[in-house]
Amino acid sequence: MSEHVNRTTPRRRVAIGLRHVALVALCLVMVFPLVLTVSTAFKDSKDVTTNPFGLFSSFSTENLETAWTVGHFGDYLLNSFLLTVPSTALVVVLSTMGGYVFARLPFPGRTMVFYLVILGLLVPFFAYMIPLYYQLRSMQLLDSLVGINLVLASTGLSFGTFFMRAFFSDLPQELEQAARMDGASEWKIFTRIMLPLVSSGIGALTVFTFLQNWNNFLVPLLYMPGGEYQPLTTGLYLFLGGRSVDIGPLAAGALITILPVVVLFVALQRQVTQGFLSGAVKG
Amino acid sequence: MTTTTAVPTPPARPRDPARRGSRPAASHAPPATRRAQARLGMLMVAPLVAVVAVFLLFPLANAVYYVFVDFNGIDVTPPWVGTANFTELAQDSDVWGAFKNNVIWIVLGTVAPLVIGLGYALLVWTVKRGSVLYRTALFLPYVLPQVAVGVVWSWIYDPTRGWLNRVLDAVGLGSLTRGWLGDPDTALYAVLGTAVWATSGFVFIIVLSALRNVDIELVEASMLDGANPAQRLRYVILPQIMPVFLMVTTITLIGGFSVFDIVFVMTGGGPAGATETLGTYAYSSAFQLNRISYGTTLALIITVMAIPFAVGLNRLQRRLSLEGTGA
Repeated sequence: MSEHVNRTTPRRRVAIGLRHVALVALCLVMVFPLVLTVSTAFKDSKDVTTNPFGLFSSFSTENLETAWTVGHFGDYLLNSFLLTVPSTALVVVLSTMGGYVFARLPFPGRTMVFYLVILGLLVPFFAYMIPLYYQLRSMQLLDSLVGINLVLASTGLSFGTFFMRAFFSDLPQELEQAARMDGASEWKIFTRIMLPLVSSGIGALTVFTFLQNWNNFLVPLLYMPGGEYQPLTTGLYLFLGGRSVDIGPLAAGALITILPVVVLFVALQRQVTQGFLSGAVKG
Repeated sequence: MTTTTAVPTPPARPRDPARRGSRPAASHAPPATRRAQARLGMLMVAPLVAVVAVFLLFPLANAVYYVFVDFNGIDVTPPWVGTANFTELAQDSDVWGAFKNNVIWIVLGTVAPLVIGLGYALLVWTVKRGSVLYRTALFLPYVLPQVAVGVVWSWIYDPTRGWLNRVLDAVGLGSLTRGWLGDPDTALYAVLGTAVWATSGFVFIIVLSALRNVDIELVEASMLDGANPAQRLRYVILPQIMPVFLMVTTITLIGGFSVFDIVFVMTGGGPAGATETLGTYAYSSAFQLNRISYGTTLALIITVMAIPFAVGLNRLQRRLSLEGTGA
């Protein structure tokens, strides 16, 4: 993109150098709370009290063990997966099919149905979260893996459908016409020809939805009053209330909560950014 | 990985006349094909519609009903109260306190991330080496669960063991130290500071991708003409990214209406209501005081206030994706 940097005058080089210095400093500020979390998590309990501000003087996994067993973070981690994987899969599958239909398979009343599905983009979860509690209660879906997964999925479907529809709308007509000539059924055209072409979109939607559902706090807080299947987010909140004095294990708990997100983000940076960008542009 | 990774595929479609509205293939397809398409279409969309109807449309309709009754969570046939919930809300000083906090949150929580995010983006814009690293570090806070962010920042603000007071002491500003989250004068701003830390990265990543579309030649030309950096920003760069900038403003602004997680975790609305927002107040009314209808009314009012912005955002986004400048 910016070939103009090629003519590097000394003055320009200084400017670029200064820019890097500023950026590194900023990045340190942004990352500092994470460094703090990691360093506190690996201190032993004595170190936490005597040396709260430095890096750990002795590496210890004591806090992690406490968080894992006493703080139930092992369970929370598992629950986070149990609540995130199915709900994400549901969003991706239903939105992909929905996006395809709304882009390419017309039926009477389609436009109206589309607007009903998209209503979720306009109405925040906030608007109906309270009635939903009583509805789930009467459906016996409170404290239930099925119930929370369905709710988490429903919060992502409007965006997902909108997002995938944009991808499917972009594919050229000629492809499906040719396939139809060759005798492919409508379902085959969808699965064999269209799906592979939007795989990048599906990837971005998957990562984006996974993060949203993993990070969700309000849904489990509201709909898991009995505390079964608590994920990391609400688990960490409970742990905070339980031992506000004991920073070491709390830091370890925060680390366990953050780590999967950081790993996912660093590994799939491109898809995550793409998801958020499109989320902003479309959602 | 090069620096252009952030451009998503779907908005890159300026010249596709068929994409607007809902008229793809079918028009010249034979009737048999059209019937097959309609059948498959309805079948494929059925599960989606079912989930949306049960978990969004139905509770939303219920919310509208709750507003006009007095539901305590137990009563199967709650008494009809008309607009009593609204009148009570209007006279509730706690609601007005929360509203004031929301306004502060919306203004500062929008302006600060915009300025900071724009600054980051301008810094990273023409950098070649280490761009991925900078992007990761600056965007990461936004991706983290807000609960964890709140927990970590709570101990940065801790009165005795917190880093903030410690740093202030070290640089000779010891008189400023205090219990940031426990002091009604500072609690809201302390939580807001955390939110700004977390959301600046979002503005950054969006503005950065918009900057990719800015005409470098134009910037260089203005440089040769002797424009200083402020003038370049004001007259050359900002106008070109204005639609995206407006969009990100609206998104941050809408988020300010329903702020919840971070306040709930860091202060729970306290001390003495100093950080109470409409969101935390709706939550506590409904789930702690069992005033279901009252909480629902508040939540719906928040929604109604945010909707004009959401509609504006939608228009803006449509314009952006039509122009193909989006993201």
